[in-house]
Amino acid sequence: MNNTPLSTTASDPKRRNLRAPIVIALAVVALGAPMVLGTYAVHAMVIALIFLLPAHGLNLLVGYTGMLSLAQAAFFGLGAYASALMSIHLGTSFPVNMLAAIALACVIAVPLGIPALRLRDTSFVMCTLGFVIIGQAISKNWISVTRGDMGLNNIDKPTVGLAGYSWTASNPVEAYYLALVLAAFATWVFWLVVRSPAGRNLVAIRENETLAESLGIPTWNYRLAAFVIAAGFGGAGGSLYVHYISVASPLMFQTLYTTTMLIIVLGGGAGSITGVIFGSFLFVALSEGLRIAPELRMIAYGLSLLILVFRFPQGFAPFLMRIWDWAGGVDKKEGSA
Amino acid sequence: MTSGKVSVLDIKGLTKTYGAVTAVDNVDLHIDHGEILGLIGPNGSGKSTFFDCSTGLATPDSGSVSLEGSDITNWSLNRIAREGRMLRSFQKTVVFKKLDVEENLVIAGQMFTFPSVLSTFSVGKRSRMRIEGLRKHARELIELTGLGPVAHMAAGNLSGGQQKLIQFASMLMPDPRLIMLDEPMAGINPKLVERVIDTIRYANREMGVSFLIIEHNIDVVTSLCSRAIVLDQGRKLCEGTPAEVIANKQVREAYLGG
Ligand SMILES: Nc1ncnc2c1ncn2[C@@H]1O[C@H](COP(=O)(O)OP(=O)(O)OP(=O)(O)O)[C@@H](O)[C@H]1O
Ligand SMILES: [Mg+2]
Repeated sequence: MNNTPLSTTASDPKRRNLRAPIVIALAVVALGAPMVLGTYAVHAMVIALIFLLPAHGLNLLVGYTGMLSLAQAAFFGLGAYASALMSIHLGTSFPVNMLAAIALACVIAVPLGIPALRLRDTSFVMCTLGFVIIGQAISKNWISVTRGDMGLNNIDKPTVGLAGYSWTASNPVEAYYLALVLAAFATWVFWLVVRSPAGRNLVAIRENETLAESLGIPTWNYRLAAFVIAAGFGGAGGSLYVHYISVASPLMFQTLYTTTMLIIVLGGGAGSITGVIFGSFLFVALSEGLRIAPELRMIAYGLSLLILVFRFPQGFAPFLMRIWDWAGGVDKKEGSA
Repeated sequence: MTSGKVSVLDIKGLTKTYGAVTAVDNVDLHIDHGEILGLIGPNGSGKSTFFDCSTGLATPDSGSVSLEGSDITNWSLNRIAREGRMLRSFQKTVVFKKLDVEENLVIAGQMFTFPSVLSTFSVGKRSRMRIEGLRKHARELIELTGLGPVAHMAAGNLSGGQQKLIQFASMLMPDPRLIMLDEPMAGINPKLVERVIDTIRYANREMGVSFLIIEHNIDVVTSLCSRAIVLDQGRKLCEGTPAEVIANKQVREAYLGG
């Protein structure tokens, strides 16, 4: 749940362990939500699930490896355009497009990562911002392929086929279940990565890169690997997004996408899987939900961010951790987060 | 010096300048198998820089470093550690602060147990068994260094002395051939000094680890080292048994300041 192993104190035998009920309740909510929510709210939840994919990638970089990258939005856009173009010109199905988007994002991340990872701190951040700007410039100006500002429209809704049967997520409720399955799968993959010995090495790099080096860890290779894996998550998210909203346009490279991913990770809690899941729902649902009052939307959004950074400077993860400890009957002696 | 036998570490003519300062000036040094060599000298005499240049953390201007006969002069810090099994500590103690002691040690052993970067991404049975093996080894070293009671506490919450022990135990994880310690006793209480000395002796005798130790406390050098080298203003001033070195007139002058 959290990457830093903390010693837990003995649980109180008198109190019931509430963890299983909480997990079951959350699962029921996740499965049942579209049946009770209105179309617009379901749409917001789909967006939240889709953004969880690039957010996992960003979390791998920021939360586990300790590198702030803005390039996630570039890989998201790359995945979106790649899927859109394949869908339009080759007529390939959504699963093929998504796998291709992931592969392409990973491949492109190598030549981008090699020079970028020589940079540190703010220079690295600026360099990754450059990638987003370049992505936007290409999508705007390579008109013969991308149709510039007009964008690519009428992309097929995501269709999955298995053994002769095929199913299309043609409305938000169906898209919700598709996105739920994919987000759950992505979360599982992410969990495997951070739980692997390599994940431990990434945390070592975040904590102290020179010490990690001195213990034989080739930190540069690991940072490149993290950058490539993160790009894959970004590409996957872009592919699902474009098939869901059925439009690819240069707007995807706007700062809104980058900031959304950042807010999900930093607000949810960098370095925590559950924090980021929580973050994606809260922030995307919040920003989408606020569309109801368009004139106040950005102000309300901005205000909630301010409250967040002052009230929860570490994101929501420590808060969730406390609830989890409480639910398990663990009494926290001292806070060391 | 050239007894026909290959030294563990053989450094020739190592030189490093920082701007106008020649931090290390044409220094030769060799460490024999199973030896504990002391490196002493006044503040700013270039001891830490010598470490940095021989372990790949800094690039020397000239000179050569060879480990068991193979040239490692331009190897990176991680490669020297991983392939050379030559480990070093830092003068300013560093540990993975947010991780507990056991986790610190597991990390230290990983690259020596997994054959490649790619293999560390595996979560299969083989990988889990490797990590289990590392945990077991870590627990043994935690007992050896007396860190048992704090094994599951975050390393950053422990005392400076305990952190030095973590650093030392981490370096023992990979079955090292040579360990270079930069002031392992500085600023730790006398009880822990004894423990560090005992552990160095144990690693030297039972595990066959050779040592190069920077140490200001001359009693420690006398009790541990068979030989010591004195640096002053980047140059090698003299070398010999600890007793010979202490008796040297130039050494006394260097320490008293001239
Ligand atoms: N990165 C650096 N940049 C510039 N000068 C440096 C650097 N590292 C070391 N020096 C200089 O090199 C000289 C040797 O420093 P070094 O730290 O190697 O000495 P030391 O013998 O380890 O001293 P101490 O006993 O205080 O640890 C000093 O004059 C120092 O100022
Ligand atoms: Mg020093």
